[in-house]
Amino acid sequence: MTLDTMIIGCGAVAHKLYGRPLQKLERAGDIRVVAVVDPYLQQARSLQSSFPRARIYEHANDAIQAALPKVTFVLSPAHMHAEHAVMALQSGSQVLCEKPMATSVRDCATMIDSAAQSDRVLSIGMVRRFFPSFRRLKQLIEDDVLGQIRTFEYREGKRFDWDVATPAGFQKRQERGGGVLFDIGPHAIDLLLWLFGTLCVVSAEDDALAGVEANVRLQLKTSECTGLLQLSWDVPLANYLRVQGDKAEAVLPLDRFDRLAVKKRNCYEELDCGYAFPADTLKVARRHCSPSLYTDAIHCQLIQFIRSIRWGERPSVEGPAGQDCISIIEDAGCIRQPMDMDWLDPRRRERYRELQRSGTL
Amino acid sequence: MNEIAIIGAGGFVGPALVESLLLDGADRVRAIVRAYRSLASLARFGSAVAVRLADAENPDSLTDAIVGCSLVVNLTTGAPHGIIRSTAAIHEACVRARVKRLVHLSSAVVFGEVSSPSTADDSAPLTKHWMPYARAKAASEIFLRNVLDSSPVEIALLRPGIVWGPRSPHTLGLVESLLQKRAFLVEDGDGIFNSIYIDNLISCIQACCNDRDDVRGFYNVADSEHLTWRDFYSALAPHLDCDMARIARVPSSHFPWSVRAAIDYLQALPLINLTYHRFKARIPIALKARLKSALGGNVSYERQALHYQATPYVDRELWHLQRTRYKLPTAKFTDRFPAQPPVSFDEGISRTIKWLSHIGLIAHEPCYAT
Repeated sequence: MTLDTMIIGCGAVAHKLYGRPLQKLERAGDIRVVAVVDPYLQQARSLQSSFPRARIYEHANDAIQAALPKVTFVLSPAHMHAEHAVMALQSGSQVLCEKPMATSVRDCATMIDSAAQSDRVLSIGMVRRFFPSFRRLKQLIEDDVLGQIRTFEYREGKRFDWDVATPAGFQKRQERGGGVLFDIGPHAIDLLLWLFGTLCVVSAEDDALAGVEANVRLQLKTSECTGLLQLSWDVPLANYLRVQGDKAEAVLPLDRFDRLAVKKRNCYEELDCGYAFPADTLKVARRHCSPSLYTDAIHCQLIQFIRSIRWGERPSVEGPAGQDCISIIEDAGCIRQPMDMDWLDPRRRERYRELQRSGTL
Repeated sequence: MNEIAIIGAGGFVGPALVESLLLDGADRVRAIVRAYRSLASLARFGSAVAVRLADAENPDSLTDAIVGCSLVVNLTTGAPHGIIRSTAAIHEACVRARVKRLVHLSSAVVFGEVSSPSTADDSAPLTKHWMPYARAKAASEIFLRNVLDSSPVEIALLRPGIVWGPRSPHTLGLVESLLQKRAFLVEDGDGIFNSIYIDNLISCIQACCNDRDDVRGFYNVADSEHLTWRDFYSALAPHLDCDMARIARVPSSHFPWSVRAAIDYLQALPLINLTYHRFKARIPIALKARLKSALGGNVSYERQALHYQATPYVDRELWHLQRTRYKLPTAKFTDRFPAQPPVSFDEGISRTIKWLSHIGLIAHEPCYAT
């Protein structure tokens, strides 16, 4: 059965990440995109050119009423996720909402309630769950190859080069869900939660003055180990996750998601990271894929979402897991301190700290 | 201070300038960027910075963006073929918007290896440099030189060498090469390190902006110390567990060609370079990712390499930079703007080390909570 589909939000995420995988699903007869929604009509038209049967709508409400979609992809700016997802769920649509799930735990709870009341799937777009190396790392931890985990170190950063269509991601969190912690933080936190089960924020520091942070560092604690999470929008960081256990260390390069190495006796050994994700929506999948590209991983994520609708399989990330990520981010916000930038001129460094504490500029 | 517009504010120098201006009490700073993505590095300043989107090659959109500002700082970079166009467009926009002063950031690269001791602030740039970026910067200088006296806008052109320090892409590149034991020195690193610490460059820009008198002219700007490449490497290497004696030495007499260097050479040819930059923007993201994945080579899992490369890849630009023979004179600037307290080399290194620790490249800090 082909599912009538609506895409809310026709910006960079829709164009660059979801466009081709959705076209692939449409060609396979799994979905039929019937509505694209965006107040910026130029963007909507551009996306529509890939889905000729889709009609353009300025507002999600109009699209829902006219197109009655069975499936909705919420790809709008983060601060609109909750509103759009709830609207779609209440109309009876199944929803995949791109990360971050919402901009507050309260909004996440509303979305989860909505999905439960309407008995619909609410899946959160955490595409990295479909990176083979991430699966392999989880397996290593579960199989006790690393032993008791002692520490982890997650650093991810580069100059921001995502061709965003709006400035929402750079605006105040309360209003727009901006900042690097809200941008790449959900990916990192979801991965760490998935690997270690629980996370607690010990300390948080960032460089936001009157705006949102471009750099953030969190000290985190799980039930058995401690670790560092550092993210940046303006500095190329090492871009890896290092997990140190008492038997071995694993190193996962974040920009090469089919690579993973384990260090034993002073020597790094690269592991085979192949993982067979279902690549079609048949009840017993005939085709499988081990993604080595972002768009392949998105395709696997979409397949999994359709499978959860069609065959009742669990989506890879459900509402509560998405909510846990936002909860960690909120916890960090509650205890955040000014980042001590000791490389600044002493006078400016002190001024920076004063301004950060006062929250004015 | 009057309202200042910074064109190309989202790069490396721009956020440092914005930060200094705001911390020094400026309340009217306007950042001009081409696309929203450039706002990421400015996002921490929030509403303290007014942001305008404009295409630096389009005088109409630029005029709208800078109108009302009496000072404009041009920090744009980008593809070489766009540099000359943006210089002309920015000047035209400044004239139309009745801007009083334009501070234009050029580069000491226009003098190549500084092969003559008499190279001065007003010397003509090399127009036949092998590097497209240097040719474009030289062409921009020539354009500004031609309008310098007749323009209603006061044009101050600053010509820094290598800008180093925290957040510098150049410094990061060198640090990476030292960590991975693939750094090289031309001969024994005796070439002149014509450079300026980022805070010192910001001080120079601010001095130009704040001066009450006419500042028009071309100025070399640099750190005060007379340094060689060996000095710079030696200051960083111990913090990166790198033994200076084991860094590869390459000859100065001839460039050590490799396949990669040959590709770089071809890419630098004017027509190919123009085509490359036009084509690059149109490559689909999936194809880019496939190419990156295929050409990415081996992943380094060590925090730093254990073995020194005897014959590392020699980047042609870096090889030429390391052959620099003379320190560029900066007396014109220091005479004209005498009150600039520079950050010393040692202090700059100390701050850079702190920043490298912060981003995890130097593992002397405790990474983990206790």
